[in-house]
Amino acid sequence: MFHINISLFSQTKALENKIDLFHDKLLDAAMTFKKAVRVYLAEQRSTEYRQLSKQIKQIEHDADNLRRDIENNLYSQNLIPDLRADVLHLVENLDKVINKFDEVSYKFYIERPEITSEYHMRINELCDLSAECAENMAKASRAFFRDLSSVRDYSQKVYFIEHESDLSAGHLREAIFDSDLPLANKLQLSDFINDIADIADIAEDFIDELLIFTIKRDI
Amino acid sequence: MDLTFFLFLSSGLFLGWSLGANDASNIFGTAVGTKMVKFKTAATIAAIFIIIGAVHAGSGASQTLGELGSINTLPGAFMSALAAALTIFWIVRSSIPTSTSQAIVGAIIGWNFFASKPTDLSLVTQIVSTWVFCPILSGTISVFLYWSIKKILRKSRMHLIRQDCYTRIGLILAGAFGAYALGANNIANVMGVFVPSSPLKEANLPWGFHLSSTQVLFLIGGIAIGVGVITYSQKIMNTVGNNLMKMSPLIAWVVVVSQSLVLFLFASQGLRNILLSYNLPALPLVPVSSSQAVIGAVMGIGLAKGGHSLNWTLIGKIIVSWISTPIIAAIICYISLFFLQNVFGQTVYLP
Repeated sequence: MFHINISLFSQTKALENKIDLFHDKLLDAAMTFKKAVRVYLAEQRSTEYRQLSKQIKQIEHDADNLRRDIENNLYSQNLIPDLRADVLHLVENLDKVINKFDEVSYKFYIERPEITSEYHMRINELCDLSAECAENMAKASRAFFRDLSSVRDYSQKVYFIEHESDLSAGHLREAIFDSDLPLANKLQLSDFINDIADIADIAEDFIDELLIFTIKRDI
Repeated sequence: MDLTFFLFLSSGLFLGWSLGANDASNIFGTAVGTKMVKFKTAATIAAIFIIIGAVHAGSGASQTLGELGSINTLPGAFMSALAAALTIFWIVRSSIPTSTSQAIVGAIIGWNFFASKPTDLSLVTQIVSTWVFCPILSGTISVFLYWSIKKILRKSRMHLIRQDCYTRIGLILAGAFGAYALGANNIANVMGVFVPSSPLKEANLPWGFHLSSTQVLFLIGGIAIGVGVITYSQKIMNTVGNNLMKMSPLIAWVVVVSQSLVLFLFASQGLRNILLSYNLPALPLVPVSSSQAVIGAVMGIGLAKGGHSLNWTLIGKIIVSWISTPIIAAIICYISLFFLQNVFGQTVYLP
């Protein structure tokens, strides 16, 4: 009995760590993405940008492994039967955001969009807002596991920042299409703006679901 | 002692088997239904602790039934237990949450009437008031537990996965306690009527355990309940876990602990003695309904969660069962005793 309990507690602790680590990966991805876009705007496809893009790819790869581990543990140990489906859904959606960071940073690397300096500040601002949205989404999700009362606080932040990011993306698109850039460039930049703003949109959708799951989780 | 004893005891054993098959779901239903605990684990723990509870603490509630009516022949006891079983079978079909406790009390009163023995009305009043008090007390305890758990969880900021681990252990411990309390409280329903006429002798078990003749009888009854749990409770546990009321494992824990505490309070001679020694009011030792205790606990939580209304239909059904179950059991018992005495020539009471 003692042995069973020790093993149960150690398995529980291990899974808690994996879930925490998974959230850390999302925060890492957000911060690295912000840095990578700044480097790209300053140096285009430099070695440093290449390194940062690889770093995001590695984070995405690690996060995928963690997600599989978490899903396997939840099923194989038959944990949280009443909330398992919700937690799996949350983990998968968190993973989607990490994938999006990887996808966008790789897209910068492959497509090498030409961005004139007049748009740098606004693109940085949009990236910061999207990354901040993802960071607060990770914090809200972490709170879902540990501290339900904080979920609402972080959720409010996500809603607010997502709205700001929408405005920022709108202004940026307007400025680009009002400019004298060739249409191909305009469309390419607009596509990038959509991709970056998508991160905030995914975070917002995630929070909508998280708030419902929080009501279910509250005893 | 011959085979006739076991033949007459069969109605009590059947009652025990059906009690085990039905009432184990009140203890482990949600845990098994939500797959937090495996059925095998739940059934083994329930069976063992029901037997321990019945043998160790079953005498208190049984004594109260003995005071209500001391059925002094085996055929009389057989028919009383059978009348209770038939009543349960009949009432359950009309989906009224009834209990063996109410049926057996009615059957004993039926025997009293048939044998022209006096029925202590003050004792009847005391027993009936415990039936009313049981779901109310269970509801009150569940509200208190619900608020406490909610506060503890909010303050401790426990990780969901760790909470799940503790809930799992808590459900097993609460289930064991619930099974002990069920055995202690409800063995009187199953074997209580056989106590005065039982020919069983004292027994010495290995490791120095000594069982009185009543405890041997309760051991047999406890085994019958345990067999009921192991052979027939799985289906009902799955129904309770999935259909009857959707409960989270943590809420299920609150419900099981509330119900178990109520059953324990109405069964423990030791606790009663402690309360009396401190001049505190003690509860009478009376067999109560575990199903009605569960309903009380669930309603308590519903109210604590901010439910705006009570389920009056369910409350109405419980009140109907308080009145109808003992009356029907008494009538069935009276008529059956008449047939057993006059058609089968059995002595159903001694003057």
